[in-house]
Amino acid sequence: MTATTPSSLRTRPTAARTTSHGPTLARVVASEWTKLTSLRSSWWAAALTVAVSAALTYLSAQASSVDPGFDPMGSLTSGVLLAQVPPLVLGVLVGTGEHSTGAFRTTFVAVPRRWPVLAAQTVATATFALLAAVLAVVAAVLALVPSARSRGIPLDLGADGTPRVLGGMVLVLVGTALLGLALGALLRRPVPAVTVAVLVVLVLPVALVLAADLASDPLAASASASVPPAQAAVNTVVTFLPAGAASLLTGEGAVEGAPDLGAWGGGLVLTAWVAVPLALAALRLRTRDVV
Amino acid sequence: MIQVEALTKRYGSVTAVDGLTFTAPPGTVTGFLGPNGAGKSTTMRMVVGLERPTSGTATVDGRRYADLPAPLRTVGVMLDARSVHPGRTAFRHLRALARTHGIGRARVDEVIGMTGLEKVAGRRAGTFSLGMGQRLGIAGALLGDPGTLILDEPVNGLDPDGVLWVRGLVRGLAAEGRTVLLSSHLMHELALCADRVVVIGRGRLLADAPVQELAEDAGSLEDAYLRLTAGAVEYRGRTAEETGRAATGGAR
Repeated sequence: MTATTPSSLRTRPTAARTTSHGPTLARVVASEWTKLTSLRSSWWAAALTVAVSAALTYLSAQASSVDPGFDPMGSLTSGVLLAQVPPLVLGVLVGTGEHSTGAFRTTFVAVPRRWPVLAAQTVATATFALLAAVLAVVAAVLALVPSARSRGIPLDLGADGTPRVLGGMVLVLVGTALLGLALGALLRRPVPAVTVAVLVVLVLPVALVLAADLASDPLAASASASVPPAQAAVNTVVTFLPAGAASLLTGEGAVEGAPDLGAWGGGLVLTAWVAVPLALAALRLRTRDVV
Repeated sequence: MIQVEALTKRYGSVTAVDGLTFTAPPGTVTGFLGPNGAGKSTTMRMVVGLERPTSGTATVDGRRYADLPAPLRTVGVMLDARSVHPGRTAFRHLRALARTHGIGRARVDEVIGMTGLEKVAGRRAGTFSLGMGQRLGIAGALLGDPGTLILDEPVNGLDPDGVLWVRGLVRGLAAEGRTVLLSSHLMHELALCADRVVVIGRGRLLADAPVQELAEDAGSLEDAYLRLTAGAVEYRGRTAEETGRAATGGAR
């Protein structure tokens, strides 16, 4: 029953054409963009980012609008910390989605070199998070309008440093999504990845600051102008966490007793938090079997 | 054509595939048989580059899978119906897969039609039955119009209609001169659609012969299989009587 057809009859592309028909980085990016935008969770994450940003900024501005020296711009970044959570989860879901569902088999059979998939996921996630982040920042600005109007204060977005703060907010949200992606791609399972990501981004900085507060004597601290060494050490550590990088990027400046790395320094710290786990994930992809 | 030569895979002290050598020639449906845990899936995963062999080689059309310039257009692969994100619709899954190779939407619609998934293409894959998942997996394998197909248990979970369809499909693909490597536990199915069978047990080759030859020697393909794998079955159920004897401490 062995029916052999002469190979000339078969529609097989020639070697030269085959090369141009294979997976290029641009094609893999297009594929990952289709994947990311075809999951409901991605759109939920984007919507929540905008909603959290708007709601918290609005509430913060309303609460402080009764202060005599109220400056609506002072509330601009108040929603960023928690608006980071949906992009973080989005990134984790993109990073773990292949491995936790078995879809990786399909993906890595199509792209056997594997690393282009991780690179494409980074591009797709950054682009999607950028769109969500820009909307979230616009929402935060709009959320300031009611309280500013109630006090008759004009909103001046061109004022010194404000454009930079707005840009910083966008970068923080995009960077957080990429941090989630990197941790997800490295750890491969969603629950451990979300846990680690939330610990690093939200819990650790707060816990460290609280612990330092407990350890230091409040009376001594207020008596002398300088920051106690223990607290300075904790603040230095916090500066090198994503939270510290975020406050540098959003123009809140350095915490006391810690080196002031500036906005560029903050950007570099956040970049390192993305690049290191991403590199480890790429190494794991390259050197190990995917099962 | 798939060529496997002295292929070996060890996980620590466990040897899953042990010096396996066989060829799946073009124009032929090659059945891949073996008890559970014999190393069939591990072998297939090594052929498509998901796992690296400890030693030995596996090539498709003379090249290592990882060196293929356009893998989807050379090899169509269906390893597991659960190789899909459950939150994505069948159409978007295939569309994303097609985009890695610049395959257009028309071909996506075409394979959806070929596998009979038109009505459910807009549904999320997580809602699919096993049989529909198999059809989606086969659709993905056909996407690049490849010269070689590797299908792991493609008739698993399919209704009789689907089984018949897969039988016709693989026979047709082989008749066009393509290479088909197909694993199955269903002996009658393989007797109907395979030309050759490769039987492995505990990672080693037990037989590599035309179906007719094996079946004639032993009476049926099933008898041939059972005789070949008698010493290589890892997991064996026992009858109630045997279990009772084991419980009272009696040796066989």
